[in-house]
Amino acid sequence: MTRTIKVDVLARVEGEGALDLEIRDGRVTAANLKIFEPPRFFEALLRGRAYTELPDIVARICGICPIAYQSSAVHAIENAFGVKVEGQLRALRRLIYCGEWIESHALHVVMLHAPDFLGFADGIQMAAAHGDAVRDGLALKKAGNALMRAIGGREIHPVNFRPGGFYRVPGRAELEPLAGELEQGRERAIRLLRWAKKFPFPELERDYEFVALRHPEEYPFNEGRLVSNRGLGIDIAAYESEFEERHVAHSTALHSMLRRRGAYLTGPLARYALNFDLLPQSVRELAREAGLGAVCRNPFKSILVRCLELVYACEEALRLIAQYQPPEAPFIPLRPCPGTGFGCTEAPRGFCWHRYDFAADGTIAHARIVPPTAQNQPSIEADLAVIANAHVQEPDDRLRQLCEQAIRNHDPCISCATHFLKLSVRRS
Amino acid sequence: MNCLIAGIGNPDRGDDGAGPHIVALLRNRVPACVSLSLHAGNLLELLEEWRDFEMVFCIDAAAAETPGGIHRITAGEELPPSAPASSHAFGLVETIALAAALQQLPPTLIIYAIDGVDFSAGAAMTREVGDACARVADMILGELKGCARSRPHAAAGG
Repeated sequence: MTRTIKVDVLARVEGEGALDLEIRDGRVTAANLKIFEPPRFFEALLRGRAYTELPDIVARICGICPIAYQSSAVHAIENAFGVKVEGQLRALRRLIYCGEWIESHALHVVMLHAPDFLGFADGIQMAAAHGDAVRDGLALKKAGNALMRAIGGREIHPVNFRPGGFYRVPGRAELEPLAGELEQGRERAIRLLRWAKKFPFPELERDYEFVALRHPEEYPFNEGRLVSNRGLGIDIAAYESEFEERHVAHSTALHSMLRRRGAYLTGPLARYALNFDLLPQSVRELAREAGLGAVCRNPFKSILVRCLELVYACEEALRLIAQYQPPEAPFIPLRPCPGTGFGCTEAPRGFCWHRYDFAADGTIAHARIVPPTAQNQPSIEADLAVIANAHVQEPDDRLRQLCEQAIRNHDPCISCATHFLKLSVRRS
Repeated sequence: MNCLIAGIGNPDRGDDGAGPHIVALLRNRVPACVSLSLHAGNLLELLEEWRDFEMVFCIDAAAAETPGGIHRITAGEELPPSAPASSHAFGLVETIALAAALQQLPPTLIIYAIDGVDFSAGAAMTREVGDACARVADMILGELKGCARSRPHAAAGG
């Protein structure tokens, strides 16, 4: 007997996706995350554009994580043209990235993911019973947005990013007032962690190959090598030698695979597993308090890791603001030259890898952008198969809810994934 | 009585610019106790902004089949469907529902929804919506005068 469960449009995820599950004789035979949002052709429309336009164009890939795209782009430009941004300009880049992690993680933890664990259809219905947590999440989102506005000019599609640095840098007087909100934000993030750690987590351990940036001295945002828990350790320029993208019929977003080992996972669980030792002692203690070790393989507990990254981002932002002195110049001048540049930074959902080939005048000849959600699709589908198999005897409604929750574990950003929940379950 | 008038919408998307257009029409015509603000996309920050106000007007476009209709709605009444928004952003309907759940609604909340039909990027505002915007601006000014008459001391910006 074939049983089919469909979710036509997935709720509480960014973008348009659907779920198609086929169960035959009590075993899952197909678990497809169907992304049907139209391809957006950014890589094609970038060809022939000037390198100076790149940050503003790629920011439009996402309204939630524009910093990820702008950061990876400017790093790639600087890599190609032989410029390295350091000092306070580098610090400002980490600071604005803290803002993006804070606003993105806060919204996901409270309004998109928590309702699954507490049995609510959405965050609005949850708010009546869990008002304090919702208020904490909204205040954190506001603090993250304020940081992005102060440095980027605005929180949606920031306008202040440019190759070499920024068009304008803030004075201390513009950043110091944000410290109060961030100090409160840190306390709010801890409260959210202590709230979320009581959630009923399904028991599940997945043997992921985690892939993330690894920097010798800091929890990664903008820089590092790409590493995994199964021996990968490469310069970001070598990405294409180890990874490949494939088109599958049921998704307009390409699937990414390790050439030699297949599916992998990027995002908070991967960053945490590969960089736990670089978290401050305060955050590692909170992790232990929440019942986490140095590695978390339960995708449902990604909400706890996001809470920990919220605490980290607040602490890191406070540290950067405390030591900030405006740089003498807002950007380092650069001169275009023919060549190829690579950039790879850690978006809230995982690493975002860019490659650009430039002509002598800086015109973009070729672009390649690999977003985190596209990379995670194979692992998400593998999660779905495992979870559905474990609950295959449940009624369709319960199975549908678990599968949707399984997708939301990874906070997919589907609009990003289509650079270029409808759940159907067929039981037989 | 201090008052906030929030214009909601994207002026680069045709009829979705109704809210910002009405705020522009009201600028320099409202008394000192009235604050004007603009919002596009995610409206969660409205929850914080309207905490300091006793009366709040929210002006937004509503998806409709015929342009130019005007709806005056108070909190608690059913709102017409909002203009298309990001799947990750909170529109006006969701924001009001969330505020109600958190007991963060202002004492008086009035929504003006203007029926729009074309929300495509780069489109011009339809003529009927533009005419409706001018009427709504006059209606809001009339309501503000009514507040000043009923509470003459409050209108002085106390």
